[in-house]
Amino acid sequence: MNLLEVKDLSVQFDTLDGTVSAVNGISFNLKAGETLGIVGESGSGKSQTVFALMGLIARNGKTTGSIKYNGQEILNLPEKQLNKIRAQQISMIFQDPMTSLNPYTRVSDQLAEVLIHHKGMSKKQALAESVQMLDAVKIPEAKSRIHLYPHEFSGGMRQRVMIAMALLCKPKLLIADEPTTALDVTVQAQIMTLLSELQQELKTAIILITHDLGVIAGSCEEMLVMYGGRVMEYGNIKKVFSDPAHPYTKGLLHAIPRIDHQGSQLTTIPGSPPNMLRLPKGCPFEPRCDVASDTCRNEIPALQEFSKNRYRACHSAMEV
Amino acid sequence: MLNFILRRLAIAIPTILVIILFSFLLMHSAPGGPFTAERKLPPEVLANIEKKYGLDKPLYQQIGVYVKNVVTDFDFGPSFKYKNLTVNEIIASGFPVTIVYGLWAFLFATLIGVSLGVFAALKHNTWLDYLATSTAIIGSVLPNFVMAPLLVLLFTVYLNWLPGGGWQGGQWQFIIMPVIALATSYLASIARITRSSMLEVLNSNFIRTAKSKGLPTQYIILHHALKPAMLPVLTSLGLSFVGMVTGSVIIDQYFSTGGIGQHFVNAALNRDYSVIMGVTILVGTLTIVFNLLVEILYAWIDPRIRY
Amino acid sequence: MYVDNKKVQDLADNLSDSNEIEGRSLWQDARHRFFKNKAALVSLITLSLIVLFALVGPQFSPWDYEEIDWDAMGDIQTMGAPSFSSGHYFGTDDLGRDLYSRVIQGTQISLMVGLIGSFIAVVVGTLYGAVAGYLGGRIDSAMMRTVDILMAIPFMFVLILLMVMFGRSIYMIFIGIGLLSWLEMSRIIRGQTLSLKNKEFIEAAIATGVKPFTIVTRHIVPNVLGIVVVYATLLVPGMIMTESFISFLGLGVQEPQTSWGALINEGARTIQNGTLWQLLFPLFFFITTLLSFFFIGDGLRDALDPKDR
Repeated sequence: MNLLEVKDLSVQFDTLDGTVSAVNGISFNLKAGETLGIVGESGSGKSQTVFALMGLIARNGKTTGSIKYNGQEILNLPEKQLNKIRAQQISMIFQDPMTSLNPYTRVSDQLAEVLIHHKGMSKKQALAESVQMLDAVKIPEAKSRIHLYPHEFSGGMRQRVMIAMALLCKPKLLIADEPTTALDVTVQAQIMTLLSELQQELKTAIILITHDLGVIAGSCEEMLVMYGGRVMEYGNIKKVFSDPAHPYTKGLLHAIPRIDHQGSQLTTIPGSPPNMLRLPKGCPFEPRCDVASDTCRNEIPALQEFSKNRYRACHSAMEV
Repeated sequence: MLNFILRRLAIAIPTILVIILFSFLLMHSAPGGPFTAERKLPPEVLANIEKKYGLDKPLYQQIGVYVKNVVTDFDFGPSFKYKNLTVNEIIASGFPVTIVYGLWAFLFATLIGVSLGVFAALKHNTWLDYLATSTAIIGSVLPNFVMAPLLVLLFTVYLNWLPGGGWQGGQWQFIIMPVIALATSYLASIARITRSSMLEVLNSNFIRTAKSKGLPTQYIILHHALKPAMLPVLTSLGLSFVGMVTGSVIIDQYFSTGGIGQHFVNAALNRDYSVIMGVTILVGTLTIVFNLLVEILYAWIDPRIRY
Repeated sequence: MYVDNKKVQDLADNLSDSNEIEGRSLWQDARHRFFKNKAALVSLITLSLIVLFALVGPQFSPWDYEEIDWDAMGDIQTMGAPSFSSGHYFGTDDLGRDLYSRVIQGTQISLMVGLIGSFIAVVVGTLYGAVAGYLGGRIDSAMMRTVDILMAIPFMFVLILLMVMFGRSIYMIFIGIGLLSWLEMSRIIRGQTLSLKNKEFIEAAIATGVKPFTIVTRHIVPNVLGIVVVYATLLVPGMIMTESFISFLGLGVQEPQTSWGALINEGARTIQNGTLWQLLFPLFFFITTLLSFFFIGDGLRDALDPKDR
């Protein structure tokens, strides 16, 4: 049984300048303990997809489709019921730990409140357990440091605090929205290692969002490539990396700079991401695609399973 | 935290001294004052002043005497107009009045303004929000000198519910209209600032994190959103305080309440310089003290600025 | 003092976060968005009408603002009421002078005070703040500390003091109000300058040997123009209110000239006599103008804010 089943998820925002279609018909599944990586450029809709999972879409947004957690439909669930799922079943860590932690409250309070509210613990118990969790994420001298304010931690440590906070109730699914983007490369590696260790220990499923293919390669089993709010390719990560089935994925992989290749210029995908206010009628990638045809411009390609557990949304014939 | 307070005090004290100095120098150079050649003051007053300040002493000594008197004894000297009154006596007769309605006005504006602002922010983009915002906008163009006659028109002339002026020891009928007239425009601006500040806080990342932790909405508002939302309001409270102090001048004029503002204007018209100075120093000091309190509160809420 | 400084500060923060303003696109964009804002548009029209009224209004009245109508003098309540036949469209004041003309006169004076006072505050505040922010270091600290001290002084008191000492004149009012209101503006501009200073195009200018004062006037000032415009617009009502406040106390414009504040004062004193028009007409113009400036300033601020784009 799938832990998470997302079908045809779409998110639209009503803005002064028009309707923005941030997410358009996303579907994927996740099994317990698995790690799914979602890759895409800025503005491709990755963050909004997971915000929809947690019910964090802004007020002017409308979400349609289906999100089933353990068989239960959780899309557009009333706040009260959603709160029972948040933190306890599904929790999230965000991109910028500096602004995502409350700068006006001590870390101890921000951790303890989760346990007090969800597990009914007393302040003392909650504090003790929070210290343990900080130890688990390798914060030195957790017992005294826990009483500090967020700005008194370094960037990497703040992210660890967020991870600790998200895992306090031992949720079954952790969503990590670009957890390493705001950090140095060395710290990045540490955080990813930490995540994988904790995952092994707690058997948590993880959805990892990033625009960094290197990060995904080292940590995920399956990967989802998004563009213009749609899924372009989806499947087992080793297969996607070795044998990409979508022109966009191919372009992304070619664009990774390599030390062992000589060359004067970096490869890029020419063009820019689509304007989400005015998405093209057909495939969103078509303007930048070098194998595009007329069909691509007029018809949105559906996500199809072309091989066991491998999906692509493309009209062009496959290169075998 | 203590460190922060001490540092702020270290700045406040010289500032107060500067104000005293400034007032003294202003008085010294004013035409028609006792320090100039044209001594048009009645002889008894002149005698008082000479005794107090030793006018034949060099300037820096005179400053010294004055400052010492003010700082150690709170003694502002004799009035330049009324030979039997000292500035302190004049201030003492007006100060309690101003404090009473001033404090009420301040509390009224702050408590209702903040509540209105929070309420409007929570009901963002509903008709309640628009109602609250419109009320605030209208309030902001109704300064005290506009509100005062309008209130009297309604409650004294038409309804005959409240007296049109006077103080009589400060019974509630005499306090109500001054308080409302004084507070209205500040209530409006506090409400607007609270609303926009609360909206901004509610849209911030750490509130999103709080939501993702499954915490109930009411809890999030009280424990996570309210304190930071108050920061810009705090800053504006300093200005509101000053505004209300100066606004009390109008209130005193219109409602004949006999507060310090009235004495100040009379002193200004009568060239009673020692009173002018005394009131200026008093109000300046109060403002600085108030701003100090605001800064301390600010640092209490926002731990990042304590350094 | 009456300006919502936080909003202007937010605009300042947003503008400095974006990169160097690309020529015209900011202004064209802003104009388009401003005109979409209905409240601002209506206010602009209203304000224009009021200005028109102030300029052209006297043509329509048989009375001028200091002439006393002896017929009305004896019995203001009936004879002084607004009517077309007597030529007193707004009625008369308590001395029998035509209120219509006096309101026009008051409008002229109050608007002038507002605009000129604002102008002075803006010019002095911008230059002071830009210089302080640009020079930085100890000079900046000293300059800003001075501002802090000056702001602690209850300025109304100082203003009244100045009035008493140097007599009542229109010019005194303009200068006095303007000089005391530049303080907050200088703070905001200084903050903007500090953030601009670190941008690359300023480094480039310094590297090519442009003199500091030229940098301030040629590069920094145009980039803070947006804030300045918004703040100035929001400052005007504050100025008008300050002047009205002083006039209400009887310390403002000298008779027979008048301003909204003075008219409201006079009108307020006579409401017991049932001559409500004496209060309501000036009050109407006062409130309408202030609201208009408020919406226009707010609209400008929303239009110029790059975050919403």
